[in-house]
Amino acid sequence: MSETRKLDLTWLVLVLLSVVGAGLGGTADDRFGVSVLVALVMAVKLRLVCDNFLELRTATPRIRQLMYAFTHGMPLLVILSSAFGGTLARLTGALV
Amino acid sequence: MSAATLTSPMPSTGRIPGNKAMWVGIFCEVTEFALMFAVYFIARAHHPEVFAAGPARLSLLAGTGYTLMLLTSGWCVAHAVHAMRASRQQACLRWLTGALLFGLGYPVIKLIEVRWNLAHGLDGSAGIFVVTYYYLTFNHLIHVFWGLLGLGWVMLRTGTGSYSADDHVGLEAFACYWHTTDIIWLMIFPLFYLLP
Repeated sequence: MSETRKLDLTWLVLVLLSVVGAGLGGTADDRFGVSVLVALVMAVKLRLVCDNFLELRTATPRIRQLMYAFTHGMPLLVILSSAFGGTLARLTGALV
Repeated sequence: MSAATLTSPMPSTGRIPGNKAMWVGIFCEVTEFALMFAVYFIARAHHPEVFAAGPARLSLLAGTGYTLMLLTSGWCVAHAVHAMRASRQQACLRWLTGALLFGLGYPVIKLIEVRWNLAHGLDGSAGIFVVTYYYLTFNHLIHVFWGLLGLGWVMLRTGTGSYSADDHVGLEAFACYWHTTDIIWLMIFPLFYLLP
């Protein structure tokens, strides 16, 4: 597959995920389940932008690892904060 | 495509996309937003019900609109870089013009959304969720403005023939900044517009 074709497909997938992902908003029957879904969609979109737009796959390892830590860490934090929000509130009680 | 992309091996050595100076700036931006995200998660942990009800107070249409504008602008920038690598300067300039038009869609939507917000009582006194939302999204808007200025600059440089297939570091550096700004929006959008 040509590089430009890959860009077009990446954009298409990102747009589809954004539109489908937007449909997850407002469905709050199972908050944790929706949070996990939202985090997964976020993770896929971030990885696609990192690899195919930002070209991190061919970047020097330090840049790649730091950016992956940021972009992988965020969806993980979404899930963890949904699962352990009470614990986080207790740990940060002195800050608020 | 995504499965193959995710599973192919990574090089143990690599190149610096753009230049080192831009990456210093990008990591400063990432650190700044990481701290703001920490504020978000702490506020959310202390006010879970307020944050769960938050997305319903915002315009999902506006949030999705920003996302589509930035993604499409980023796609145009990625194409512009590829066009320059193929020595297609005019095509590069056309892609950059597209990136600018879609990029400008972001502040236009922001203007409309802020008016809508204020009409619905979402001002600085509307509670912790709205304050956190303004705090992060206006900071992101500032970074989009920097990006639009940078985009104008690389368009000027491209139009005057300052870049070539062999030397277009400035264009690549801008592309890295723009994609990172996009990445940060892809985090902000679900936090405020989707997460229950």
